[in-house]
Amino acid sequence: MYQTLLTRKYLTSKIMPLLASVAIVLCTAMVLITWSVMGGFLKSLVASGRTMIGDVAITFPNVGFPHYQDLVRRLQADPMVEAACPMIESYGLIHLPDGRNELVVVKGVEGDSYNRVTEFHKTLYWRPLTEPVPKDEFGDDWRLRQHSLWAGRLADGMALREMDTQRAQEVPAAVFGIEVAGFNIREVWGGYTPGVVRVPQSDGTLKDQTVLMFESTITLNLLAMDPTGRSVETSTRQVPVANEFQSGLYDIDKQTILVDLGLVQQMLNMDEAERIVAGSAPDTHGVVVDPATGRESFEPARETTVDPARVTSVLVRGKGKQEDPRPLAERCREIYRDFAAAHTGVPPPENIRIATWEDQNRTLISAVKKETGLVLFIFSFISLTAVILVLAIFWSMVSEKTKDIGVLRSIGASRSGVAMVWICYGLAIGLIGSIAGGALAYAIVWNINPIHDWMGQQLGLVIWDPRVYYFVTIPSEVETDKAVIVVLGGVVSSVLGALIPAARAAMLSPVKALRFE
Amino acid sequence: MPLLIVENLQKTYRLGRVDVPVLRGASLAVEEGEFVAVLGASGSGKSTLLHLIGGLDTPDRDPERPSGITFDGRDLKAMVTRDLDRYRARDVGFVFQFYHLLPELTVIQNVLIASMVRRGPGARSAPARAAEILDAFGLASRLGHRPAQLSGGERQRVAIARALINEPRLLLADEPTGNLDRKTGNAILDALARIRERTRQTVIMVTHDPSVAARADRVVNLEDGRVVSEHSRPLRDS
Ligand SMILES: Nc1ncnc2c1ncn2[C@@H]1O[C@H](COP(=O)(O)OP(=O)(O)OP(=O)(O)O)[C@@H](O)[C@H]1O
Ligand SMILES: [Mg+2]
Repeated sequence: MYQTLLTRKYLTSKIMPLLASVAIVLCTAMVLITWSVMGGFLKSLVASGRTMIGDVAITFPNVGFPHYQDLVRRLQADPMVEAACPMIESYGLIHLPDGRNELVVVKGVEGDSYNRVTEFHKTLYWRPLTEPVPKDEFGDDWRLRQHSLWAGRLADGMALREMDTQRAQEVPAAVFGIEVAGFNIREVWGGYTPGVVRVPQSDGTLKDQTVLMFESTITLNLLAMDPTGRSVETSTRQVPVANEFQSGLYDIDKQTILVDLGLVQQMLNMDEAERIVAGSAPDTHGVVVDPATGRESFEPARETTVDPARVTSVLVRGKGKQEDPRPLAERCREIYRDFAAAHTGVPPPENIRIATWEDQNRTLISAVKKETGLVLFIFSFISLTAVILVLAIFWSMVSEKTKDIGVLRSIGASRSGVAMVWICYGLAIGLIGSIAGGALAYAIVWNINPIHDWMGQQLGLVIWDPRVYYFVTIPSEVETDKAVIVVLGGVVSSVLGALIPAARAAMLSPVKALRFE
Repeated sequence: MPLLIVENLQKTYRLGRVDVPVLRGASLAVEEGEFVAVLGASGSGKSTLLHLIGGLDTPDRDPERPSGITFDGRDLKAMVTRDLDRYRARDVGFVFQFYHLLPELTVIQNVLIASMVRRGPGARSAPARAAEILDAFGLASRLGHRPAQLSGGERQRVAIARALINEPRLLLADEPTGNLDRKTGNAILDALARIRERTRQTVIMVTHDPSVAARADRVVNLEDGRVVSEHSRPLRDS
């Protein structure tokens, strides 16, 4: 084919179109890098969003539902379910060591079962470290030293219990989101250092004091409700903090504390309790007088029932990777239906909310998705410059080659054949540019963290601040399908740019082309 | 029947509102194997005539004065674009005053591109044929050179080789020596003559130079847009 011969010759003899190729290199690399990093960011967000809530949550808020143990058992018996755990989600007011009050989301969970569903032990922050985290070059991480300080913290955090040395017994404890208390300082290398506060002393002076949350005890206030949802009383407890967690999602780390489920149930009156059936007890307030001796004694109420313990949610983790949690949610609904049929006093299935992790993180995920889409749109739009550049360069090349086009027509080349010369050439420029651009993007994304660090050191340019983006390392993975799409996009753009000059070449009158000076 | 019959050809260029008639009823018949020179002053329409014969351009269509070009019994008017492309690729070969080689291609590629455009059963043997023609033109050692590395006479010989590679039945030469000195021009005409001795190639050559025209079997004059007189010489016995 004479088109490929000419393309090959033009490629090796013309500089200008190679500039167009460079533009395509830059544009494809730009789009692919952005897409890969933002896509990776989204993936990390989704992954860390799941760590705290499992795949599917079965929820009846506030009042909750009883017999959840049976629901958990039924769920775990299902082949689609890996694990299930009960949870109470409520709001609480915490009183911090420095005197501040904060409104928080309280999640009452059992350490063990919650861990099976969410693997939350991976998020526990305070633990002995032997290796510094990737960006911590100077070994500033507290966790690298004083291992004795962290000893047992991990186990305490997982169990949501702590040894009370004074009472010599285990007591329920809390695990805080790492940003909740606001004392920890987030470092550039992505970790935390306990902060320092000025504490007023009894003699009126101020003294600097490092606040270790996991050494502190906080006051937790919860609003208890009766089974009809009426608020009964505020219950207050002193709760020691066993550890802190870092989920990777700022909202969760800022607002959530985990507390031992039993404690939360007690505080919210949701634990198992004996209750006198209304009207069955005598109106003697339980005191009977023996007519013979005149002695008073307590008589048990005649009819009592046991109010079963309740929770507001059951979290479910599916087997396998659960790319799409919706089938699992469907299955959970069926299981709940059977469960509701087997018990009285359980909310009907229609009132139960069954939400996947995607549903629960929808706003955040869709925001990042939209942002990714928007940035890609803008960059693709910017990439139109490459198309225009190809168009402009090819247009002027067609002018320059007018006489050659006339010659080709004189030896029998058809209009479409002449157009194909330029399309072929555009295709070659596009292929070279996009493949090189794709390779450049691969190279950059794979090494994006070292490159970024280098920029930080040499130019003082830190774009990906872990304090803002919440992940220590920049996502550094190029997905093949994205690469293919971007490379094809680059080729198509280049061909599009060549199209108009090609049409112009085809429309040239051969006689005018031959007479062209 | 003549290989080419040109009858009453009209061609008018329109410059703004002014009509510039260039050909006004030119007629010409060329037998197979004939070498015809068309002699005319500059601007008389010689190139225009060749372009029309070669199907690069179309003559005016005036229903009152029927005109036409017939090649081997085929009316060019009746040909669609694709047929005209094929006609140029197979049946005619063009040689221009300014050579018009493709500067990026080597000598051999400039010749072969015509066979690549034509695509046909002869494409396989084209490289050998091209080498043979170029060898006959004394260019055997220049096959890999670029046109810019050749002299004018050498370039024109490459251009003739390109025009002949597809073995066309009609060679159209537009002042092939117009850009060369007399000696080089004569060498080109000698080369052409040698080819004609072998192949009896039909040639129409336009020129404004009577001494160049004199090398043809027959000379016609183009004046006022018409072929006005024919100085006929007897066809050389073959
Ligand atoms: N595209 C065009 N538009 C207008 N006029 C044209 C066009 N092409 C050619 N002409 C005019 O037609 C006339 C004939 O041109 P043509 O090139 O055929 O002459 P020629 O005999 O080949 O001249 P030369 O010996 O200089 O090559 C000239 O007067 C020229 O100005
Ligand atoms: Mg001319």
